[in-house]
Amino acid sequence: MKINISTTLNDRTLEVSVYPNQTLLEFLRDDLCLKGSVEGCGVGVCGSCTVLVDNRPVSSCLMLATDAAGKRITTIEGLGRNGALDPVQEAFLKHQAFQCGYCTPGMIMAVKGLLLNNPHPTESQARDYLSGNLCRCGTYVEVLAAVQELAGR
Amino acid sequence: MALVGRDVTMVGGLAKVTGAVNYAPDLQFPRMLYAKALRSPYPHANILRIDTAKAEKLPGVVAVITQDDLHGLNPYFGPVVDDQPVVATERVRHVGEVVALVAGESREIAEEAVGLIEIDYEELPAVFDILEAIKPDAPVLHAQRKETTAGVHREEFNFQVGGNVCSVYHVEDGDIKKGFLEADEIIENTYTLPPVQHGHIEPHAATAYWEPSGKLVLHTATQNPSGIQEQLAQIFKLPENQVRVIVPLVGGGYGGKTHARLEPALALLARKARRPVQWVLTRDEVFLTGRRYGALVKIKTGFKRDGRILARQVEAFYEIGAYALNGPVNAKTGCYVSSGPYNIPNRSLTTYSVYTNLPPTGPFRGVGVSHVCWAYESEMDDIARRLNVDPVELRLKHLVRERDIFVTGEELISVGVTDCLCRTAEAIGWKGKEEQAVPPEKKNLLRGKGLAVAIKSTTTPTTSSASVRLNADGSAVLLTSSVEIGQGLLTSMAQIVGEELGLPFERVTVSSPDTDVTPYDKSTSSSRTTFHMGQAAQQAARDVKNQLLDVAAKKLEARIEDLELRDGSVSVRGVPDKKMSIAEIFRTRFGSTVGSMFGGYCFKTAGGLDPETGKGKAAAFWFFSACGAEVEVDVETGKVRVLKAVTAADAGHAIHPKQCGLQNEGSLLSGMGSALFEEMVYDNGQPINSNFLEYMLPSLEDHPQEFQSILVETPHPDGPFGAKGVGEAALPPVAPAIGNAIANALGGVRIRDLPIKPDKLVAALQAEKENR
Amino acid sequence: MRRFELAEPQTLEEACALLNDDGDAKALAGGTALLTLIKHGIFIPKTLVNLKKIGGMSGIDYDRQRGLRIGALTSIYDVESSPLVCQYYPWLAEACHLVANIRIRNMATIGGNLAHGDYQSDPPTALVALDASVDLTRGTGTRQIKLSEFLLGSYETALQPGELLSALVVPPPDSWRGTYIKFTTGSSEERPCAGIAALLRMEQGICRDLRLVVGAVSPRPVRMHHAEEFARGKEISEAVLQTIGAEASRVVDPIDDLRGSASYKRQLVGVLVRRALAAVIH
Ligand SMILES: Cc1cc2nc3c(=O)[nH]c(=O)nc-3n(C[C@H](O)[C@H](O)[C@H](O)COP(=O)(O)OP(=O)(O)OC[C@H]3O[C@@H](n4cnc5c(N)ncnc54)[C@H](O)[C@@H]3O)c2cc1C
Repeated sequence: MKINISTTLNDRTLEVSVYPNQTLLEFLRDDLCLKGSVEGCGVGVCGSCTVLVDNRPVSSCLMLATDAAGKRITTIEGLGRNGALDPVQEAFLKHQAFQCGYCTPGMIMAVKGLLLNNPHPTESQARDYLSGNLCRCGTYVEVLAAVQELAGR
Repeated sequence: MALVGRDVTMVGGLAKVTGAVNYAPDLQFPRMLYAKALRSPYPHANILRIDTAKAEKLPGVVAVITQDDLHGLNPYFGPVVDDQPVVATERVRHVGEVVALVAGESREIAEEAVGLIEIDYEELPAVFDILEAIKPDAPVLHAQRKETTAGVHREEFNFQVGGNVCSVYHVEDGDIKKGFLEADEIIENTYTLPPVQHGHIEPHAATAYWEPSGKLVLHTATQNPSGIQEQLAQIFKLPENQVRVIVPLVGGGYGGKTHARLEPALALLARKARRPVQWVLTRDEVFLTGRRYGALVKIKTGFKRDGRILARQVEAFYEIGAYALNGPVNAKTGCYVSSGPYNIPNRSLTTYSVYTNLPPTGPFRGVGVSHVCWAYESEMDDIARRLNVDPVELRLKHLVRERDIFVTGEELISVGVTDCLCRTAEAIGWKGKEEQAVPPEKKNLLRGKGLAVAIKSTTTPTTSSASVRLNADGSAVLLTSSVEIGQGLLTSMAQIVGEELGLPFERVTVSSPDTDVTPYDKSTSSSRTTFHMGQAAQQAARDVKNQLLDVAAKKLEARIEDLELRDGSVSVRGVPDKKMSIAEIFRTRFGSTVGSMFGGYCFKTAGGLDPETGKGKAAAFWFFSACGAEVEVDVETGKVRVLKAVTAADAGHAIHPKQCGLQNEGSLLSGMGSALFEEMVYDNGQPINSNFLEYMLPSLEDHPQEFQSILVETPHPDGPFGAKGVGEAALPPVAPAIGNAIANALGGVRIRDLPIKPDKLVAALQAEKENR
Repeated sequence: MRRFELAEPQTLEEACALLNDDGDAKALAGGTALLTLIKHGIFIPKTLVNLKKIGGMSGIDYDRQRGLRIGALTSIYDVESSPLVCQYYPWLAEACHLVANIRIRNMATIGGNLAHGDYQSDPPTALVALDASVDLTRGTGTRQIKLSEFLLGSYETALQPGELLSALVVPPPDSWRGTYIKFTTGSSEERPCAGIAALLRMEQGICRDLRLVVGAVSPRPVRMHHAEEFARGKEISEAVLQTIGAEASRVVDPIDDLRGSASYKRQLVGVLVRRALAAVIH
């Protein structure tokens, strides 16, 4: 049996019905065809499915879609306005903070969460906050550089 | 140069930062079904009965395949040995082997159906340990073995018949007995490395469907579209043009996606289901699908008291799991570099690839080299300590130089290893012999620095072909089957083509692989793309350029040698007015300004080794690297922190220095993980840490506070603009550099079994204390 | 994920009734532990009872007399970032901060962390040291038991069928000074190989009282009663630290696992206990 929920996704209100066993990630990918959030590990470790719920990063692979009810969800597709990139995206481009790019949307959402919570993080705060987003290609140095620039440091 | 050597903006970045890339797991097709595998719970068993009736009756299940669906096919495949069944036939040889594959309307239905399949097994004795597996009475995995007709140059391997040794490789020079006799001292040790995960965050994923005409179409996250095409054509007995392999951007590979994994069974399932079927592995399944070989390396070195190394003997055993995959290639590639990038007059080097009842392995960044490098670079430091000399000096005395003859009998060229070592030593603040000083007593936190170097070949001989299409408006596209896996080939290839054609960077694009359109490439592996595909791309562009110049020469009444192609026009050097735009050349040649001009090139490298002697030409180019690490060891808890790391690679000529630097960073990260904690653990063949909760990749907090990448540039005469590959270069020396740093911190106490986890370190320190 | 039904009660009473009526039903809070078990096929659910629509089950109150009260559904991040917790129980804030990553801490609830009973956890160690209690309810009536009696073993708690953990109660901090150390043997992101909570009351250089708890090495956090007694009335010299460390090593009965061998953990505990105490003193 599906469950009806009302949620705000990337600033638009949606009335949708979701399966009880559907994760938010599956809902985004399968039902809405928003493929920017991807699954890497399925157990909340890698962070490639990071989205913001009420401006806080969560692992959408471990959140049931029904729990999006009444919440404000932001995905990578919701960043930027009127065709302009979000500053975090700009900074990632500038600092070449990606290689294969699979972890990148999750990493960007985590950085977004960090800056919403703490607009001027020190390097050690940034490391601490972002350490749960894994990149195997090896672009941690560049991610940190992007964050330091955004933090005005 | 206008483009080559510059850090132009990386292609595809916009899609990556906006989440707009469609990776293999993101693809959707009308009426697409989802696949789910039933996997063996046993490491070794006979399949007595399979009953899929209940599963097939479940609403929403469209097809199920098992061993009963293999008739009419070539049911076995593999890149070197045809020993892998499309789905398990009669026997399973590792936990997680696919016994049946279900296609359902949803992932949940497919998963439920898997639970309804009934199977009876008869368990067989199994073997997991390398040394157990080579004993004469060990259970044998493959009674018969067939060599493949596809792909690699199988004549280069010495396959063994019977037992679990899949292949043996041997090369020697000098007189090893005499070398050891003349030596003043001999040291001998055994080093081990556990299996580790590639750790690509994108799991293996593919979608297959059959066109009504009987043509197979596969969209798959592979590093090897041409190889997949070849293998699938063979399995299904189709001409290669009836297998179309399309590759989207790949979310990381590191070797893990080099060979057919999902594709054969998935294609069969799609044929039965008559609909597109998508198969995306869960992370647990990735652990059952591929990994880096475990290994045991015995190394023995004889040297003079004056510091000359006279003899080195290596015997390495690679544990390759249940199926060969590229195990024999790995053993061969590891063999001839197992004494390191050193001149040692007497050598005897032997490697074995050995089957066990563990999940399959496959190439892993640094194929085979990380294993032997861990041994020989640890050994170099031990020798230096024994001789009381600076380990850098000891290395410099023996390092290979330009035009030296390697153990394979070939002349080495583009040998930047001395530079790699010296610049790394400087960057890490190496102070010479005093780095090996006795640590202060009563301190908990000890610091140490360590260095290591490596040499690796690229797979040889191989072929890469490319074609360049120039449009009348002066835009061009490179058609290539090389795969963008994050290394940035969409960027570097565009730089090469743009440079050759005198086009602005934005005017050149690079295709994604589609075997219907893009020409053959050996595979995106062995750090070979920049060198091989780069050369093919440059020559293909030159082919177009020559056509342009031909037309212009006639029209401008000039000699070809006097023409130059720049910014979309051909002009006579020194006479700026005598000039034709690309559009004008098109009009001259074709009568109109539409259409395109094609250029093509097939780049083949020569070489190969005699399997009897191991002599010949192993590498179209050699790559060299170094790593330096500074660590802090907590002697009470055994915890090691890497404070600073430097990696250096000889890039020949860096086409895109930033991307090369990122390769070095990735190598460091992966090498650090396997040095300190990455390890796949099995209990009687059952994986016990097959997820990222229990098997962790290095995080941002684990990454050293200070990291530096160094690019040495020793141009290679055969590389495009002198370039060589760097993808794997910096990985092998990372673990030994960290190991050496730890040994230096601890006054020589050495752990020889990776990973160097705290409990091992504490135990080693305790043992050392008791011995004293 | 496998198919299951989801009940979404609005009140605690309803939730307890649902769990009571259906023995197979299981409570779902943050889902970070439970959904992982389901995905790995370790737990096969029929019905999950989602607690998150229940009002009034999250939030943090502090009262000088009664101490801290934390609703079971409060996220671990909300605990670590609560000004009250940071001010009065900084070591609890630290133990919560060291859990997993920011995403999990935003989702995972403190109640779920305790009810899950995984021995490789951080908050329980700090909370046992604080002598915390939990409120257990069946919808009608609530019993309060000590956390040390609630945590029975690996994945074992005192929760009865149909019972829910509604809140966590922590006595006032009085004049404790304390610390929590999480030690990982692999990546920074791992679960603890060992966790040490040490709370100390000092008067003129003399230890008036000590609470010492070792977590994550054995099925439940272990309080080092002997060591605590030994320390009382003593000046915490290097020798005393050594003795306490040795005692802790002796008392623990570590589990051999991927994070380290049992003998290693035994030795490690001694080292970490010493360091924890030294850190509190200095
Ligand atoms: C990637 C990752 C890393 C982690 N690392 C750490 C770490 O470093 N340190 C650490 O301490 N922990 C760690 N954890 C564990 C984490 O803290 C727990 O998963 C989490 O706290 C559980 O809370 P939850 O709300 O998500 O519980 P759920 O998953 O919803 O439930 C867990 C269990 O508790 C029961 N339950 C939940 N709430 C109640 C209640 N109010 N009353 C009765 N029963 C209830 C459920 O029925 C279920 O059995 C990690 C988890 C993940 C996924």
